Amino acid sequence: MHVEFQDIHKYYGRVRANEGIDLTLEPGRIYGLLGENGAGKSTLMRMLAGHIEPTRGRILFDGKPSRGFNPSRALALGVGMLYQDPLDFPALKVWENFRLGGTKRDRRDTLSRLQKLADRFHFRLSPEEKVGELTVGERQQLELLRLLDLGAKVLILDEPTTGISVKQKEMLFTTMRQLARDKGRTIVFVTHKLAEVEELCQEVIVLRRGKLTAKLPAPFRPDELIKLMFGAKQEEPEEDQHRHNLVEENFIQLEQVQLLGEKYTLRDVSLGIRPGEILGLAGLEGNGQELLLRGLAGLVRVMKGRLIFDGEEFQGRPYLEFRRSGIHFLPAARLEHGLFPDLSLNEHFRLAFPPHNGGRHKLSPEEGMKAFSIQAKLSTSARALSGGNQQRLLLALIPRQIRLLLLEHPTRGLDHGSGQQVWSHLRERCRQSTALVFSSADLDEIKDNSHRVLIFYNRRLIADRPTFSISVEEMGRLMAGEGRAV
Amino acid sequence: MLPAARLGLSLGRLAASLFLSLVFTTLILLIAGAPPIDTFIILFAGGLGSVAKLAQTMSVWIPLVLCSSALLLAFAPGLWNIGIEGQIILGAIFATGFLRPFAEGGSPLILVGALLAGMIGGSLWAYIAGVLKTWGRVHEIFGGLGLNFVALGLTLWLIFGPWRRPGVASMSGTEPLHPSLWLQEFKGLSLNPVSLALALVAIGLVIYLLRSTRWGLSLKAVGQNPDAALLFGLKPNKRILESMLACGALAGLAGALQVVGVYHRLLPAISSNYGYTALLVTMLASFRPQLIPPICFFFALLNVGSIQLPLQLKLDSSLSGVIQGVLVLSVFLVHGLEGRFRLGRKKE
Repeated sequence: MHVEFQDIHKYYGRVRANEGIDLTLEPGRIYGLLGENGAGKSTLMRMLAGHIEPTRGRILFDGKPSRGFNPSRALALGVGMLYQDPLDFPALKVWENFRLGGTKRDRRDTLSRLQKLADRFHFRLSPEEKVGELTVGERQQLELLRLLDLGAKVLILDEPTTGISVKQKEMLFTTMRQLARDKGRTIVFVTHKLAEVEELCQEVIVLRRGKLTAKLPAPFRPDELIKLMFGAKQEEPEEDQHRHNLVEENFIQLEQVQLLGEKYTLRDVSLGIRPGEILGLAGLEGNGQELLLRGLAGLVRVMKGRLIFDGEEFQGRPYLEFRRSGIHFLPAARLEHGLFPDLSLNEHFRLAFPPHNGGRHKLSPEEGMKAFSIQAKLSTSARALSGGNQQRLLLALIPRQIRLLLLEHPTRGLDHGSGQQVWSHLRERCRQSTALVFSSADLDEIKDNSHRVLIFYNRRLIADRPTFSISVEEMGRLMAGEGRAV
Repeated sequence: MLPAARLGLSLGRLAASLFLSLVFTTLILLIAGAPPIDTFIILFAGGLGSVAKLAQTMSVWIPLVLCSSALLLAFAPGLWNIGIEGQIILGAIFATGFLRPFAEGGSPLILVGALLAGMIGGSLWAYIAGVLKTWGRVHEIFGGLGLNFVALGLTLWLIFGPWRRPGVASMSGTEPLHPSLWLQEFKGLSLNPVSLALALVAIGLVIYLLRSTRWGLSLKAVGQNPDAALLFGLKPNKRILESMLACGALAGLAGALQVVGVYHRLLPAISSNYGYTALLVTMLASFRPQLIPPICFFFALLNVGSIQLPLQLKLDSSLSGVIQGVLVLSVFLVHGLEGRFRLGRKKE
């Protein structure tokens, strides 16, 4: 099927997830859709699959505009989406799940249809097994067969190679090629792994900050793709006086630390942090930055290794001891994890600054509001604040005497001016020898603000470099698993 | 929004819900073949008709207010303490147990001990539900429900086993307390001043704790966002256990007062389901303390009035339960429709 995006815009409030995208997809081709986190890949694909409606613009299917957007209509038109975490029903048996949404069939018909389709692609699925007992790769295979059975002509695969074995990946790729070549299906492969794009795709589409930056045919040049994904900024190593003045010793030391998160484990991290130092964590989401921040905050369990703070071993201690020792963590989701939505600003100040301790260093709520230029009344609830004001409130609630500040995406969702304000405050804190560790999806932010860059790939810390010695381009390359770490 | 405007909105919702439940109840009465107007007159006049009737209504109001105040404390950190029934029962059991050695009567000071014992019993039962939640990861609804059944079983076992009346064991409960251990009632009325005072102190105390103390604020913070509460160093699990202890103490007090002030013995149905009723009250009040006393009064009125139904109209007294249930459903419906209406407008 021939799919045409015409001037697609999608706004979420002030956030522009997609802006003016014009794109044509031809039948029988495999497209790679590349972009960093938040570039707008998922938004664009979710519109194609009918989950969300564009703010402006339209999508034509074989020259006809779609009327209304919902997933079942999209499927009727022939668009099927395979999600990173397949949307299936763990409690059902394989054949029952396969039958969902399709034509009415009895058990025997279903089994024979499933068998026929599975044989064509050499998948081995036992129909009587529970979906919940399958591996992620097998669940993808099942979902793929189901979509094909429903007559999907356009297949969207959202990062399908995360969490499946190499062999399953090979099978998946073979199947994709077969479907495109023999059946004239259109395939969109959403990923951030360059190697896979090179291996599989005939054409690549790159998004950056919601806009289409390129549509190129194979063969691809990885350097060029990285530039398109992360933005090409020719930077000259500019030096801040302050950055050289870090003469003090490490006060935090991680020795072969292994952190156990809810979804994965980050292994073998060793590093030291000096007072006043700013460390930027770069990596695609889910590769370990969030775990390191929480590990340093005492919120995640240290399974192995030593975490030394001021000469004392801190691994295994409760969060409150980390907090009492002057470690402070601010999560990325401010309203969801950092603030109390229906409590007033005044109440937040009361909770953050108990009367019995830190009395001398404490700001009165009024002073706090002024110092951080929070534009609201003290009786306003946190929910009613803009993103920028929420972030400024969180900063205002940090106690004065802090040794280590851990920030997750400190300026996400803020406009440029607010972001600058946040950073000037943070730099001021570091001049008073607070160390700062932050993660960001914006490599320019990391380049501009940190002394050292730590890069994560494949749930490992793969590089720890002084910022002046690394370009944004190289950071991008390392994050995408290209090139060698030093 | 201004506090006054918000209170006005709550009252408006309440009025709409009352109207809606009146319509539903009338329909039910018509189906049951009962004269709606007469029924309503009996229901409301039954609890208001005379000073004696009013006193009776107030004697139901007391445990309802105590339990609803208790529930406000549990709701602050977001706990659905459905186990309050069991906590009332344990309060009654502990108070009875405390008074058993004094079969020959004694000084009224002993009653202070009995009330404290009741509070400890209720707290203990609530604490178990709290530990099940924070340590065992059992949701407080399931933990509480399970404990309710255990508490009921415990009462029956005591009444028919170790605490049975000499000679007979029956559903009518344990041997009555010595009259010197009964709370003194107002002359000729079934209402005692001590219970009334305690209920007023309880609701006042809970309002003060939630409004004006840092402890109350941190309970609310835990309810709003446990993750943020953890980051703020507010010790969410400790706060949860504390609020359960406080809630259980008030529920236990209600149970103990039923023993020493109303029934003067331990009965199988000692809680009269006031815990469940109080859950309805707090939901109806949408957790606003100032609405608790009037709503409790209304529910008490229905409870007392419905006793007359079988006598005068040959209707079952469970009708009051039906009305209470319908009322709560109406409140949710009004709330839901309001949300739906607002969303609808936003979309356009």
